[in-house]
Amino acid sequence: MSAQAAGGALLSATGICVDYEGKRAVDGFSLEIQRGGFVGVMGQPGCGKSTAALALLGLVRPPGRITAGRVLWQGRNLLEMDERQLAGIRGSQIGLVTQSPRSSLHPMLTVGAQLVRVYRAHTSASRREAREHALEMLRLVGIQEPARRLDAYVHELSTGMAQRVVIAMALCNQPALLVADEPTSGLDVTIQAQVLDRLWEAAGQLGSAVLLVTQDLGIVANYCDRVVVMDRGGVVEEQTVHGFFQAPRHQYSRRVVGLQTLVSASSPQPDAIRNAAGPEAEDVLVRVRGLRKVFRVPGRTEPLAAVDDIDLAISRGECVGLVGESGSGKTTAGRCILRLEDPDAGEILFAGKALHQMRPVELRAERARMQIVFQDPLDSMNPRWTVEQVIREPLDLATELSTGERRNRILELSRATGLPLDALERRPRELSAGLQQRVAVARAMVTRPDFVVLDEPTSALTPETTAELVGLLRDLRGRYGVAYLLISHDLTTIRDACDRVVVLYLGQVVEEGLTEQIFGAPRHPYTRALIAAHLSADPNSRRVDQTDRTGLLGEIVPVSESLMGCRLSPRCPHAVSRCRAETQSLEAQADGRRVRCWRALEGDLE
Amino acid sequence: MIWRYVIQRLLIAAVQLLALAVLVFFIIRLMPADPVARLVGFNASPEAYAQSQQALGLDRPLLLQFSDFLGLTAGQPGGGLLQGSLGESWESNEPVADELIRSLPVTLELVSLSLLVSLLLAIPIGMYAAARPGGAVDKGAYVWGMFAGSQPDYWWGLLFILVFAFTLGVAPAPLGRHDPLLLPPDPVTGLILVDSVLRGRWDVLVSAFGYLALPVITMVFTVSGAIIKMIRQNTVRALSSDYVMFARACGLPQRTVALYALRTALTPTLTLVAVFFSVLLSAAVTVERVFSLNGVGQYSVRAILNFDYPAIQGAVLAVAFVSLMVYLLVDILHAVLDPRSRSH
Repeated sequence: MSAQAAGGALLSATGICVDYEGKRAVDGFSLEIQRGGFVGVMGQPGCGKSTAALALLGLVRPPGRITAGRVLWQGRNLLEMDERQLAGIRGSQIGLVTQSPRSSLHPMLTVGAQLVRVYRAHTSASRREAREHALEMLRLVGIQEPARRLDAYVHELSTGMAQRVVIAMALCNQPALLVADEPTSGLDVTIQAQVLDRLWEAAGQLGSAVLLVTQDLGIVANYCDRVVVMDRGGVVEEQTVHGFFQAPRHQYSRRVVGLQTLVSASSPQPDAIRNAAGPEAEDVLVRVRGLRKVFRVPGRTEPLAAVDDIDLAISRGECVGLVGESGSGKTTAGRCILRLEDPDAGEILFAGKALHQMRPVELRAERARMQIVFQDPLDSMNPRWTVEQVIREPLDLATELSTGERRNRILELSRATGLPLDALERRPRELSAGLQQRVAVARAMVTRPDFVVLDEPTSALTPETTAELVGLLRDLRGRYGVAYLLISHDLTTIRDACDRVVVLYLGQVVEEGLTEQIFGAPRHPYTRALIAAHLSADPNSRRVDQTDRTGLLGEIVPVSESLMGCRLSPRCPHAVSRCRAETQSLEAQADGRRVRCWRALEGDLE
Repeated sequence: MIWRYVIQRLLIAAVQLLALAVLVFFIIRLMPADPVARLVGFNASPEAYAQSQQALGLDRPLLLQFSDFLGLTAGQPGGGLLQGSLGESWESNEPVADELIRSLPVTLELVSLSLLVSLLLAIPIGMYAAARPGGAVDKGAYVWGMFAGSQPDYWWGLLFILVFAFTLGVAPAPLGRHDPLLLPPDPVTGLILVDSVLRGRWDVLVSAFGYLALPVITMVFTVSGAIIKMIRQNTVRALSSDYVMFARACGLPQRTVALYALRTALTPTLTLVAVFFSVLLSAAVTVERVFSLNGVGQYSVRAILNFDYPAIQGAVLAVAFVSLMVYLLVDILHAVLDPRSRSH
């Protein structure tokens, strides 16, 4: 904060109001940003934090309008400038990183062409110089093979890569301020860490101040030095990161900070079977052996194994977590186990019955005992039905209860899932995301199943509602003795909810063990990387302060099945020649864990 | 790569045409009609009737007639569809292909010109309306679309003739493609505007523009409302898109930002071109009638009323061929303009 001594803020906003057709989204927002600072803006969804961040650049999403306020930038009010003057400042002195990188890039122009345009709009560089600079910027944000990527279109990029391109465009004219609006909300933890590390480094190198809008306490704790909390369109709290975590003032801040300590304190699970290798034979509810599912991908000659030889056992009342980056085959595995998709090989025993051999009619009879909760609650509900109809559907399809019994069951479950009573008559769309997911859980639980697959149930939720949902799941498990397979890429959810964790990479189990084993002492390099990339909400052990931050290289890339050697070897920082030569097998260890890495087994990585 | 795609599409089109030919052949013959009686008259002697029936080949079994039509019968004079012959009109005894070469260009000229004018009008109006939603232009275009689309095109055509040709006298009477007193230029392409330029017949060119004005205005009037609406929608979507906002956030000049939006707004419009080309082709049937244009629409109507089977078959296949080619062309252009459609 040496800049404060130099006097004067870099940017100072006062009394900004943004209206959306009569509704006030931002109401008297004021903020000062110092040179070189890294400021986090937090708040509940709908509190106006993204709208306020855009307004700092004089931007509003249609049909909104900025109706009042001042944004002083180098002594001039941005909000009184015309488009032409604004264009001179945007992208050159103030950069913006948007929330949805893939839709923020023009779909019909190459990434390089767009970068070149932004650079040339603010400099007198020639086309060739601009292209050189674009290349350099892509390298700076950590894009591999940047020369090839220059000629790529956005639909050829992953979300993580597109986000790097957007960051490169925002930074390419070395702005003094970078406004980043939830820049990593759609990314895997590993990619999120890579992107934020690069953003932090690049901003540091170029001397840019950063305003980062986020809901993630981990991001705030690890990267920001100041926190601004918004509520109902205005700033309600502003302090240093350490102060925020030690003594949060506003009730929202107290709630979210409290959430962290609360959840980690209540980790002990209901008395489930604490055996890392999985349950004993008599307790087994679900047993999967050699599960395999391949997909034919257009443009590839050989089929791709999304699930490749997975063995898994889940006992009654147990919660097993399935983690891995997107593309690791988690969702496909979950669907195959319920036979929502037909596996190509392998056996699935559910309560002793061979699910994999069942005909559709027999399978339907089993559906009442095994259910699923989908990632997007709204997507999996008929929008014309009331919540009550939605919850009743499994009862109608798979049970022969009387109307009264059904009604009782629905009331019981809506109470158990904490749905307000009037919610039953409403349509799913009218409820908040958190309540929608509760409806989905109630629907899955209404037939009193023994086993529920939860497929990324928290990915659409805020940290607060996520914690509530985890609590609810634990509660239902205690009450009904249901077993879960919890699929998630959110490690906080997994850590707080699961007894055991199975880690998947490219369709294979790479490590399996008790939750505290996996989180306390991960063995496989992939698990290590996942845990290391997990941003814990502790400003005293910041990721950016650690000297060694070597994680995985690049992104998940399907490898050919005929490839010899470890599937992680192209990305693994510990890979040696033997890793590339030998196919790795999943080996059980003395403490019951299973690990698929010879170096980890030999203790080379400790 | 693009060539492989084109060849593939052409092969598919050939199969589609062949299937259509089969369908048309049999459906016509399901009509409760007696083309022989229509030709020789109801009072003809049984001998004359039989002779005529034999001459038309209608005495032969249906499958043999079909084989004649396709050109599979050995030693058949003139060949059939597979040899590229559409047969002879029963009405005029002229080859159907020759008649189509005369009538098809009339329709194509009318339809393409109408489509061109519609787009030239609709694109700027649609985009302007999108830039100022709820403004005067936006509301005006909306009302126009409702108003013009609510009446059939031949009705508007008659009204325009009444007002512009007879009451105001600013347009020529609906008597065909040009002043009947002028000798048409020798056909090269069959398109009167093109031929009169190629032959240096400026008097015909001027006259043809005058005579085409009312039919084109009729078609443009009825169809533009819908095109404006779609262009407006595409533009609204592009303008509220993330990439337009991000382009502004990057400080790109307003002109560049506008071009960004334009490009994504207009590419889907290409697909519209193909759709509206087909719409206009069917509208041409009645509009040609109103304005005495001897296009393929009029030709089809005459062929159907006369039970002139070869002419009906020929007209249907010709129109289908044109539509398929327009769709192919549009799809290729789309692939060139939009990188996303290339990588499937």
